[in-house]
Amino acid sequence: MNIFRRELKANFRSLLIWGVIVVLFVMVGVSKFSAYYGNPEMLAILDQMPPALLSAFSFQAFNLTTVTGFFGLMFTYFALLVSIAAAMWGSDIISKEERDKTVEFSLTLPVTRSRVVTAKALAALVNCIALLFITWGASLASAAQYQPDGEFYRFLALCMLALFIMQLIFLAIGIFLGCAMKRYKRASAVAVSVLLGTYFLSVLSGLHRDLEFLKYLSPFKYFDAGVLLRESRLDVTFVVLSAAIVLLSMAGAYWSYTRRDLYI
Amino acid sequence: MSVIEVNHLTKYYGKARGIIDVSLQVHEGEIFGFIGPNGAGKSTTIRLLLSLIHPTGGTATIFGKDCIRYGPELRREIGYLPSEVFYYERMKVIDLLKYSASFYDKDCTRRLHELSELMELELHRRIEDLSYGNKKKVGIVQGLLHGPKLLFLDEPTAGLDPLMQREFFQLIREENQRGVTVFFSSHILGEVQRMCNRVGIIKEGRMVEIADIQTLQQNNYKKVRVAADVLDVTRFGLPGVTNLEHNNGVVRFFYKGDINTVMRRIGEITVSDVTVEEPTLEEIFMHYYE
Repeated sequence: MNIFRRELKANFRSLLIWGVIVVLFVMVGVSKFSAYYGNPEMLAILDQMPPALLSAFSFQAFNLTTVTGFFGLMFTYFALLVSIAAAMWGSDIISKEERDKTVEFSLTLPVTRSRVVTAKALAALVNCIALLFITWGASLASAAQYQPDGEFYRFLALCMLALFIMQLIFLAIGIFLGCAMKRYKRASAVAVSVLLGTYFLSVLSGLHRDLEFLKYLSPFKYFDAGVLLRESRLDVTFVVLSAAIVLLSMAGAYWSYTRRDLYI
Repeated sequence: MSVIEVNHLTKYYGKARGIIDVSLQVHEGEIFGFIGPNGAGKSTTIRLLLSLIHPTGGTATIFGKDCIRYGPELRREIGYLPSEVFYYERMKVIDLLKYSASFYDKDCTRRLHELSELMELELHRRIEDLSYGNKKKVGIVQGLLHGPKLLFLDEPTAGLDPLMQREFFQLIREENQRGVTVFFSSHILGEVQRMCNRVGIIKEGRMVEIADIQTLQQNNYKKVRVAADVLDVTRFGLPGVTNLEHNNGVVRFFYKGDINTVMRRIGEITVSDVTVEEPTLEEIFMHYYE
């Protein structure tokens, strides 16, 4: 409990900063939406663009002149933001102790290493959930002026659930890298690189039918906002796949952290 | 009873040498000096005993229990003062000490305040605003506040002013008198000589000697100085004599062997002054390292 509480306190500033970024992002996004809102000419312009380009950026599935369609488009960017935050928190919360040389204090206390990982993982998870609620709240607040229908609220809730699973994936990968990497200084950089790499794969997989198999490699394709909107539910295959990634990463994190040397 | 028992402990960092085949015992209630120059493997040994790193070979037990397997449990009774202390920079001293205390099953509040007063800590400053010496003082309080039965001190006096050093040694002696075993790693030989009962000397990762300080001094060479009006240096060219010097009617040399042989040689001449001294730890140490 003491480690958990200390980590929450230590990470509070970082949470605030990410919160501000997300809120600003939603505000800027929605102010752009006011240009599309109820504007059929915008649709005509989009129709003239090459379909591959549109699908790469998942513009195709949405009617951008409705608030639901617009949030469907925003989903990818929300996903990037909250996942990057999760990956960085995950990798940093473990590796910072070695970077700041505080392991010589924190791990010579009478604690097991797995207790340290558990407490820190939970603290990072609380941060992720808080950021998700900030995202949700900001979305609701900024969409309210367009008086969205019930479908919008259901869709938004489903999107948040999908975002939560993606946060879990990247949080777990981040924690694993923070625990396992000997070159702990680079854990955060590697975690974010993995994230951006998989995002790039998700863009590639939308470009051509032959590249579609790439979607299994990219959590960004597990929950496609277009599909969420059409089917109103999460794809079970990908939920299972996500759970597997999270479990494997966490198992790997505990396994490696309890066995390896800590460098000072 | 041995509090620490190290058997053939070896640690390689990849191919780099940490320590090789180190064996030693630290008995209950003693202050064991662990000396060697920088990079000899002193901190590596301590970090192995605290299970921050894992051995490549060999075993180590503390209070009879394997120090890796029972690490977390053993650390309840261990206090550690690293050579350089690093704490969470943004915390206040008092919060950090309370945080540290929260990991032990007992109430450490009284001891925490006693020690803080003794070390003249400013409890409400942030760690990041403290000087090196003041951080070290926080380290001393943090290492002792839970009343450990075994203390690891890794070059403890670096950064402390002479007054604080004296205060600190007094504190360690008191702890020791209450039965606390101390593992005292240092390269400052004077303080080891003052504080310790036994010493282990480590060189390039290997133990070269473990002995009582007294026996180490007695069984080692003697420092002999002879002053006389007429002196023939060759008279002292005995087996066991080293570092023979002669100037201004004074002969100095180190001697190892039967002291009577030298005494007889000295007795044969008329001298104006003779001293026979035990070497300081520093001199013994330099001898091992040459």
